[in-house]
Amino acid sequence: MAAGPVATTLDLPDVQGLVARGYGNLNAARFVLLGLEDAAAARRWLGEIAGTVTAGDERPESQALNLAFTSSGLKRLGLAPEIVQQFSNEFVGGMTTEHRSRILGDLGDDAPDRWDWGGPASAPVDAALLLYARDDSELERLAEAQLRVLAAGGLRIVRELGTSDLDGFEPFGFRDGISQPLLEGLSKVGPPQYTLRTGEFVLGYPNEYGRYTDRPTVEASSDRQSLLPRDPTGSGRADLGLNGTYLVFRQLRQDVRGFWRFLDAATRRADGSSDPAARIRLAAKTVGRWPGGAPLALAPERDDPALAEANDFGYFHEDRDGARCPIGSHIRRANPRDSLDPQPGSDQSLALNRRHRILRRGREYGRSLTPEEAVAEQTGTGEDERGLHFICLNANIARQFEFVQHTWVNSPKFAGLYDDADPLVAPSQPFGATFTVQSESVRQRVTDLPRFVSVKGGAYFFLPGIAALRYLASL
Amino acid sequence: MPQQSSLTIVADVRPGETESLGEILATMGDGVANGSVVDLSSLSEMHFARFFLLEETTDLSGRPLPAALLYMSDFDVPKDRHLTELAGSPGIDRLFGHCEGYPAAGPTADQRLAYLRAHTVKEQARYVNTIGRGSRQIRREAELRDAIEGFLDRQLNEWAGRDPREIREAVRRFVAEEPSLAWARTPEDRPSLWWRLREGAHLVALPLLLLLLSPLLLLGAPFYAFLLRRHEKADPAPHLKPDEATVTGLARLEDHVVQNPFTAIGLVKPGLFRKLTIRGILYAIAYATRHVFNNGNLAGVKTIHFARWVILNEGRRVIFASNYDGSLESYMDDFIDKIAWGLNVVFSNGFGYPRTRWLVLDGARDELAFKDYLRRHQVPTRVWYSAYQRLTASNVANNERIRRGLYGDMGGEEARRWLQAL
Repeated sequence: MAAGPVATTLDLPDVQGLVARGYGNLNAARFVLLGLEDAAAARRWLGEIAGTVTAGDERPESQALNLAFTSSGLKRLGLAPEIVQQFSNEFVGGMTTEHRSRILGDLGDDAPDRWDWGGPASAPVDAALLLYARDDSELERLAEAQLRVLAAGGLRIVRELGTSDLDGFEPFGFRDGISQPLLEGLSKVGPPQYTLRTGEFVLGYPNEYGRYTDRPTVEASSDRQSLLPRDPTGSGRADLGLNGTYLVFRQLRQDVRGFWRFLDAATRRADGSSDPAARIRLAAKTVGRWPGGAPLALAPERDDPALAEANDFGYFHEDRDGARCPIGSHIRRANPRDSLDPQPGSDQSLALNRRHRILRRGREYGRSLTPEEAVAEQTGTGEDERGLHFICLNANIARQFEFVQHTWVNSPKFAGLYDDADPLVAPSQPFGATFTVQSESVRQRVTDLPRFVSVKGGAYFFLPGIAALRYLASL
Repeated sequence: MPQQSSLTIVADVRPGETESLGEILATMGDGVANGSVVDLSSLSEMHFARFFLLEETTDLSGRPLPAALLYMSDFDVPKDRHLTELAGSPGIDRLFGHCEGYPAAGPTADQRLAYLRAHTVKEQARYVNTIGRGSRQIRREAELRDAIEGFLDRQLNEWAGRDPREIREAVRRFVAEEPSLAWARTPEDRPSLWWRLREGAHLVALPLLLLLLSPLLLLGAPFYAFLLRRHEKADPAPHLKPDEATVTGLARLEDHVVQNPFTAIGLVKPGLFRKLTIRGILYAIAYATRHVFNNGNLAGVKTIHFARWVILNEGRRVIFASNYDGSLESYMDDFIDKIAWGLNVVFSNGFGYPRTRWLVLDGARDELAFKDYLRRHQVPTRVWYSAYQRLTASNVANNERIRRGLYGDMGGEEARRWLQAL
């Protein structure tokens, strides 16, 4: 074997806190999308708040703040174009190129020109300020203080995205966030086959290939105040990417009423009446877990609270043909575990899977709705939008987020299927509107699925290390 | 049993006419051929085809390499018939009319045919997903699968609790009674005895020859190994990143249907050593794809329908062209994760490839250096035609499995497994 890079310990004081934790104890959150107007003023603002950005070695009890920039934001701060070009092409080109819209499924009503933010028709987004607090009043205090500083820094608020705490459940009503990759260098440890090299989620560390992912570096001489760490691979350059990562942000509206009404219609009894148990069962088949969280691969017949957080299972040996958990269900395609070719059920299959993981850091928004409420006649008026502010972290957007989205989630051809995109979240156009529920005997097919999730906005951000934030402020 | 054939046509473009030719190609489709100028869908028993342009450039010693127009296709009819049909399309004039030596002002179909035939070049190696599985069989078996799935849906309430063998019998009855599926009542023809004998003879001929030459080969091996390592250590392997605009331009043509074309061209490293190595390797690949990787699986990669390697410009350049399922990102990941060694033995003879050891090690395993190398050598596949745009290789294989399950007797477990294909 070639002499691989030596694993170094994750520099927790320099990574932003969101890498280390999702701030589960801070129930309130708000995401403020910003436009930069005046570079000098924006750098002053950045210099001021860089010291308050929550780092990975902190365990905040009441407040946390993280900050990310789009490529346009880095340019507006004054980072030279040739340095910006060193970031990955996906980040530089952005989420809304024609090809990217095609692979992400952002077509028709979900096309970027219809988005509320991040698209060509809306104000440019240069940065995202991510605010977290213990409760709503604490969040209010944090936001108020931050917005005051913002105004002085010549920053424009493009959009404020509120969130809601649905107690660990996502708006369709399923327990969420159970399966997260474990990361070398963080305190939480687990089985080695589920533990990923640091470089999959943080730049400047060896990844699952034992290599360093490309990242921007600058001439050491241009780092006049010696703010940046040096490139760990020994090039002598100052490392702007080290301890940073890419943050993918997508606002996904969930049509919870549409979802449960479709399932209700698909599971009616012969006499035309609703069958709530069958409705839940089909819903669980689309997700791959019961609402309580128990995976169908382990609990095929009914929800089981004892398995609510179960995550140590595979598909090949337990459920090769999908009779328990359908091949096309959401969790089986977002994380196929040991079912990947050419040798499903093997360590090699698990190793392939490890190269396509993302660290999810999203938050829900909107009021929750039970299946019964969703199916019932709509009463009252007012705000009825709900969904997910999908946020994920990864070191290689093309190999991680985009691959999962295109090759697994959106693909009607996933794992040998024909016309089955992800029944829960994928677009059903131009094809892929079938959901096949495998069984021990003849499969059942649910056809003409509409799309239950629509895209309201999105952008690719870079979440710099803390030293890199200070460097950007010094430009 | 049909024999998949292929054709590669290369014609140098007259100086100064690349741009106007490029403009015509651009009107012929945006990622997928739209049927204008030359309607590739009108040709018989087609699988895939493409037209693309190689820009004018220079080789490693600075000698000019003229711009060229290329046509590549995979089909099941005899080569001559395919060429004749292609020559029957007047649109050919609008394309090859920009090329050196093309007959001026309205050539006859015979003149076109003569020109195309004269510009046909030999492929050094080809990969066919499954040898003998023709285009018509692929399309008909897709119809068969749709018909059976529809039948199962219509009678869905009848299947609960039934023995898999009974369900299979019901499906067999349905196919037997459906007039439009009359062709499916019997299996596909087996290859002829003559064909099997010929393939068998070829299969043993090469190992026999190697065995005969083994004393010589053993003597030469250390010498070859020494040279190989010396080249590998000395060859430059800079990691250059393609710029964002280039990648965006290439990606614009990708992911319109479930398959994609990939076309790449590279300069062979200077010197006799690499020239001979690449010829030897491509000869070995041609043997392996004919006798070993001839049934749906290229050393672990199951998503490639057709591929070919063609040496151009007296050995100075090599083209690799393929038709594969899914995105280029997933294709490249398959390369790295499953057949890095296979990529290395070929591409490491190409200039600028990530450094290899012993021909098979490292190289493509440097993930980003490899992906950037491929993107930098990729050529836009301007006009691309697929005869079955909605079928992955996995679908095609499964459809065949469904059909084969219609014949003969099955036990309960076998019938249950067969039902899982539906």
